[in-house]
Amino acid sequence: MPSLAARHAIQTIKLTKRFGQTLALDQLDLTVEPGEVFGFLGPNGAGKSTTIRLLLGHLRPTAGQAWIFGDAAADATAAHRHLAYVPADVALWPRLTGAETLEVLADLGPGIDRPYRDELVQRFELEIDRRCGTYSTGNRQKVALVAAFATSAQLLIFDEPTAGLDPIMEQQFRECVAAAVARGRTVLLSSHHLAEVEAVCQRVGILRDGRLVEVAELSDLRRLRFTEMQVSFRGASPDLEQLSGVPGVNNVRALSPSRLSLTLTGSPAPALRFLASTEVLALDVREPSLEEIFLEYYGQPVS
Amino acid sequence: MTTIARLAARLIRRGFLIMLILVPGLSAMVVAQYRYTFSDPADVRSLQMLAQNPAIRVMFGVPMALDSAGGFTVWRTGAFAAAALGSWALLTATRITRGEEQSGRWALLLIGRLRLSSVVAQHLLVLLGAQLLVGGALTVAFIGAGAGARGALIYGTGVTLVGTFFAAVGTLCAQLIEERRLASGIAAAVLALALVLRMVADGVDRLTWLAWLTPFGLLAEAEPYAANRLSPLAVLAVVVSAVVGFAVLTAASRDLGSGLLTGSGTRPGRFGLLRSVPGFAIRRVLPSTFGWAVGLCTYFLIIGLLARSLAEFLLANPRFTDLAAQAGFAGLATVQGYVAALFALLAIPLGVFAASRLSHDAADEADGRLAALFSRPLTRSRWALVQIAVTTAAVVGLAIAAGIATTTGTALAGANLRLTEALAGALNVVPVAVLCLSAAQVAIGWVPHAVLALGAAPAVGGFLLTVLVDTFDWPNWLAQLSPFAHLASVPTTGPDWAGAAGMMGVSALLAGLGIAGFVRRDLRG
Repeated sequence: MPSLAARHAIQTIKLTKRFGQTLALDQLDLTVEPGEVFGFLGPNGAGKSTTIRLLLGHLRPTAGQAWIFGDAAADATAAHRHLAYVPADVALWPRLTGAETLEVLADLGPGIDRPYRDELVQRFELEIDRRCGTYSTGNRQKVALVAAFATSAQLLIFDEPTAGLDPIMEQQFRECVAAAVARGRTVLLSSHHLAEVEAVCQRVGILRDGRLVEVAELSDLRRLRFTEMQVSFRGASPDLEQLSGVPGVNNVRALSPSRLSLTLTGSPAPALRFLASTEVLALDVREPSLEEIFLEYYGQPVS
Repeated sequence: MTTIARLAARLIRRGFLIMLILVPGLSAMVVAQYRYTFSDPADVRSLQMLAQNPAIRVMFGVPMALDSAGGFTVWRTGAFAAAALGSWALLTATRITRGEEQSGRWALLLIGRLRLSSVVAQHLLVLLGAQLLVGGALTVAFIGAGAGARGALIYGTGVTLVGTFFAAVGTLCAQLIEERRLASGIAAAVLALALVLRMVADGVDRLTWLAWLTPFGLLAEAEPYAANRLSPLAVLAVVVSAVVGFAVLTAASRDLGSGLLTGSGTRPGRFGLLRSVPGFAIRRVLPSTFGWAVGLCTYFLIIGLLARSLAEFLLANPRFTDLAAQAGFAGLATVQGYVAALFALLAIPLGVFAASRLSHDAADEADGRLAALFSRPLTRSRWALVQIAVTTAAVVGLAIAAGIATTTGTALAGANLRLTEALAGALNVVPVAVLCLSAAQVAIGWVPHAVLALGAAPAVGGFLLTVLVDTFDWPNWLAQLSPFAHLASVPTTGPDWAGAAGMMGVSALLAGLGIAGFVRRDLRG
């Protein structure tokens, strides 16, 4: 099997993890190709972090197997030569400074590009002479991100990497991912962030209740994209049947005598022109999450 | 009880139950033992003379009422009981206050209407209540075992106050310093200083007033079963109230997550020893090793300084030597015998040190700090082996330091103890500490919540077992289970090589079992 798996950056076969009675991951078959940026989506508790920790060998599988560039995930010395990892909740040694932490992680790691690391420290505006005990969540995350991006690892695994970062730093993160991909790296990104996944990922997998429910190209996702609109109005309601006939409008429902909802794909202009004859009090526009888009498309309700 | 108080009670319940059983239980046993060890009044008089010797006074305090079971037990166990309760109190105080705060959990508690000072005060009050219950149980145990009530009440109150003092000191340190381990270390240093002050006060006639500066001294000044004085306890109560008040006031004037003595958060990087796994392990172990070394060297320097006086006294009074043997201190008549007896005790701090190092490692894992390391090309077995090797080296270093401190003391006092003898005596107990280390590794592999308890068990539990077997004439095979049964009295005799080899063999097996468990289980955090 490994010789076959060697072609893939990540491969899992029937990877399963139980915690006591709880089935956290159920027979996951996942393949990520070298050079790919793969987005990993799913609600809290879906099994994203469990999958990642299994890939890292931090958790031992109940059944099934995983390989990183053909090396068994359980073999840390071999598999970890290929990867770098940023956890969702970065914990560091409080008495070491940021610079010292980077040094520890660099020297135990698979190799590092020091000039690039210094550049990353500048880009993420990281104060490396501070003791880690005084860092905020975002700063701890920056330390882990700098350490990961500066390695020569072929696979970068990120678990909710930007949860504590401000929008400017998020932008830096996306640029660094793009730079890594340009250097031929593979990225596995677990995230709730629609915009982030859209900005960097080529392919997306959705995990629910420990099962991989869908894997799709991002181009499919864009085609599926819709917005949800709620309209409050005074006086007579617009004709719902006619409204349903407007290009791009779907799922028209009356929520109350003075409120309706619809979904929109493509340009909102025809719908807005139609509504111009109604005395609209408020327009509430919501962008659904990537999970909702997929699950809407595949007909499974989001709980 | 308020919700916060119930939460605090939940956090301390396990250690509290252990203290509640251990402290009164062992005291009651010694009270019972007294009847058959000292049934003859002549023996009691001899013991009284033995206890006049400065060396004995320094180790156990000035005996006050050796003619009563209560007085004897207070003298024999009081310092240990008070120190054990105080250590538990201060470690628990920093754990449930600064530890919880550092983990971020207090941010949740403070979302409600509570102020930080109120949360600190409630945690401290629960811990003070726990001391009161242990002290109360101690009093009841003394009375129940047949010692007088008045002395029991004075003694129980005194021990309670010592416990509350260190609970308050721990809480105060947790307000001053924003990192739990450092706060615990400083509070523990206060306890060590308090013990040393008591030793000096009891050993040097001109400095007896120093006893009033330390809670252990004040407990002794109360003279349970002799003068039964209230004034030293009143002084201690006032001091405890002041420290409690200061701790709560300090909590009121600081931010959540910070300490009053928070220094600058920045410093230039120091990159020594960071570039390899063993180097990093050494760097992590150095600060606490240094702290333990200071404490152990101070203690063994004093032991060395007193060696000659005790040995000369015993040589001049051979009858006391037999009595000392009956009271549990065999072979004290020579400097070598005396230091050998005390080096056996060194196994306990060394074992606890070894277990505490691996319990830090377990805490690092639970807090997620090892996730970054184990995402590197580093196997868990290598990491565990490096920790074991580095901790063993630190234990050996501490033993050597204790040996050097002892010969320094004996040389200053003009006693005849060669450096090689002292080193042999100190290194002789290293296998017990290694046994603790490997028991801690078993815990890491299979029960990672109990690393300190399981790791300290061979030394602390083994010592208790030896004492109990001696006291109650339990069968000999039970005594053989204790590591102390396999330690020769070095430097009086040569080392028990078979015993040492046996302990090292068992350690290797345990370490292997522990590493196997660590490799196959899921990482925590």
